[in-house]
Amino acid sequence: MALRWGWWWWRWRCGASARRAPPPPPLGSVPGPGSRPPPPALGGAMCHFPQRSSVLSFPKICNIFWRFHHTSTSQMCSCSKTVSDEKYQDPFQLGRKDLKNLYEDIKKELLVSTAELREMCEYYFDGKGKAFRPMIVVLMARACNIHHSNSREVQASQRSVAIIAEMIHTASLVHDDVIDDANSRRGKMTVNQIWGERKAVLAGDFILSAASLALARIGNTTIISVLTQVIEDLVRGEFLQLGSKENENERFAHYLEKTFKKTASLIANSCKAVSILGCPDPKVHEIAYQYGKNVGIAFQLIDDVLDFTSCADRLGKPAAADLKLGLATGPVLFACRQFPEMNAMIMRRFSKPGDVERARKYVLQSDGVQQTTYLAQRYCHEATREISKLRPSPEREALIQLTEMVLMRDK
Amino acid sequence: MCFFSFLFCRGFVYDSRNNLQMRGLVVLLISKAAGPSTAELSFQHNMVSGIYSSQRSLAEITELIHTAFLVHRGIVNIGELKSCDGPLKDMQFGNKMAVLSGDFLLANACTSLAQLQNTKVVELISSAIGDLVQGIYYENSKSSEENCLTDDIGISTWKEQVFLSHSALLAKSCQAAMELAKHSAEIQDMAFQYGKHMSMSHKLHSDLQPFVKESSSDIMAFSLNCAPAVLHQEFLGRDAWIKQIREAQGKGNIMDYKKLQEAIKAGKGVTSAIDLCRCHGNRALAALESFPPSEARAALANIVYAVTRFS
Repeated sequence: MALRWGWWWWRWRCGASARRAPPPPPLGSVPGPGSRPPPPALGGAMCHFPQRSSVLSFPKICNIFWRFHHTSTSQMCSCSKTVSDEKYQDPFQLGRKDLKNLYEDIKKELLVSTAELREMCEYYFDGKGKAFRPMIVVLMARACNIHHSNSREVQASQRSVAIIAEMIHTASLVHDDVIDDANSRRGKMTVNQIWGERKAVLAGDFILSAASLALARIGNTTIISVLTQVIEDLVRGEFLQLGSKENENERFAHYLEKTFKKTASLIANSCKAVSILGCPDPKVHEIAYQYGKNVGIAFQLIDDVLDFTSCADRLGKPAAADLKLGLATGPVLFACRQFPEMNAMIMRRFSKPGDVERARKYVLQSDGVQQTTYLAQRYCHEATREISKLRPSPEREALIQLTEMVLMRDK
Repeated sequence: MCFFSFLFCRGFVYDSRNNLQMRGLVVLLISKAAGPSTAELSFQHNMVSGIYSSQRSLAEITELIHTAFLVHRGIVNIGELKSCDGPLKDMQFGNKMAVLSGDFLLANACTSLAQLQNTKVVELISSAIGDLVQGIYYENSKSSEENCLTDDIGISTWKEQVFLSHSALLAKSCQAAMELAKHSAEIQDMAFQYGKHMSMSHKLHSDLQPFVKESSSDIMAFSLNCAPAVLHQEFLGRDAWIKQIREAQGKGNIMDYKKLQEAIKAGKGVTSAIDLCRCHGNRALAALESFPPSEARAALANIVYAVTRFS
């Protein structure tokens, strides 16, 4: 009954959306690890996805109606007890218990005798960050554990991966702020603003070394290799950001590759790491990796959108920061198709006075923001499609819910 | 190998900058001195000239890490720049390149470490990086203080801090090289001791240069936190030392290093620094006794002789 409902809904949406289908995004350019993505045909047919409704994917609709009609006595899924009402499982709630002591545990890894160095290292581990990455890691760990052995317990090593992921992320933030000469993040001053650049770089190095130490202590050489890849990708991503491409098509591929290396690699590889710890099946590792990769790219795309649409207070950091840094992100690249005069500005990295303002206006006049958001939606759908291959569980649902949250966030 | 080590030792003595060049070479030498693994016969595969490929890789990693921090040490504080330092944009760009290059080297080191497929080695080297950061942090703190030109630290604190900034990386790399060949815990400890004491001697030797060189024409500036000064302060007492510094500073607040040097030479700081240097040298040599006699071991001993020679 529920399935038939879902199918009808899907048909209706398909019909509705066919009348006003937006141009398919260049998803052929989703980069794999280490592989050069093919140049995307913007507005062309290089698309890995079937032509689907832009709003909700089939498995998702299925889920909604299935849950709506589902009774508590069904044996189909172990999550029956938790979804007897229509409310979604809030991913943050589910992961909360595991992450409760996350920041305390991170601080334990950063024990160092010098008070000031410790203060600097602990500065961002005050619990005010989104803790988005550790949460994905913990939920993925549970989902994989359930898939493999029906056990919901998170292993100590998996929890370590969550901690390590957050530490690597923070270390890169500290260095990025020095590189970008930023003076505020998460609503407060940056480390380099308060203590100076020299100490900030040292603090970042220290956090990285502590993360590396924690990684070694897990005692698994495969996990070390997987997460070390992240460190290399982060640096390479930063270098990619320094360069620019002449050709419009190359630019987009370059942007996606940079996005993968700088943002998605961490999430993808941490998901892969916990899946390796929880389940021996390589197919599951690949599912976890793909989920992480797609969510990561979507996350960054929305971040780039927010740089144009949100205001500084909400974000906790200055807006239009990317333009001021000379970076041409998704909205800009899409806008450039409608306003070719932006090409010159992109090539000179918005360095001339008035460039930033002009570019901003062009972007807001164009459909750049919408296109980027649409692209993010497609990546989220792909993430959902991948994760749905795992055995049902509250955590799996939460991970699906999380993709929605990525799209809806405003900071 | 002998000629190589002779050149190396010469470089040690004449290198006035406080840089232990070729840490990697020390790691290679100690790997060779320790010989093949006693644990498994199948280990012999990757050995070239008596050194396993993993140990060779570790030597590179040590150099990478050392260089990464040389680069990171060069970063400037934007807030402290004056107009005479040049355009701000250039400094910012320089900082950016320094952070990125240092990070790139560190990332490469991490990747190579992972490829060694040995979690204990990763643990050792990661902790060495943490030590190095703390050591550099202490160095930084000293130079940035305005009123206090010199720390009120005794020689034992000095040794702790110098261990972190100058010895930890080499000591732990030597130990890690032993671990890679699956040598016993005793051999690993001896390698660690060699690395630690040899680099302490080297630092002391380097600190002593302004005080033992014969040439009176060159007035070498020295850090007020160098070993002879720290020891001098310990003997003299803090107040008397501060008084001597003020006297040497004179009216224009420009330090008369010659005068201060004389003051330190007149005290017991220099001789006890030399003693300390030799003491560490002896401990390094004692650690070498655990290794079988070989050219490599002789080369390592020569290095110790080079850094404890003051004539």
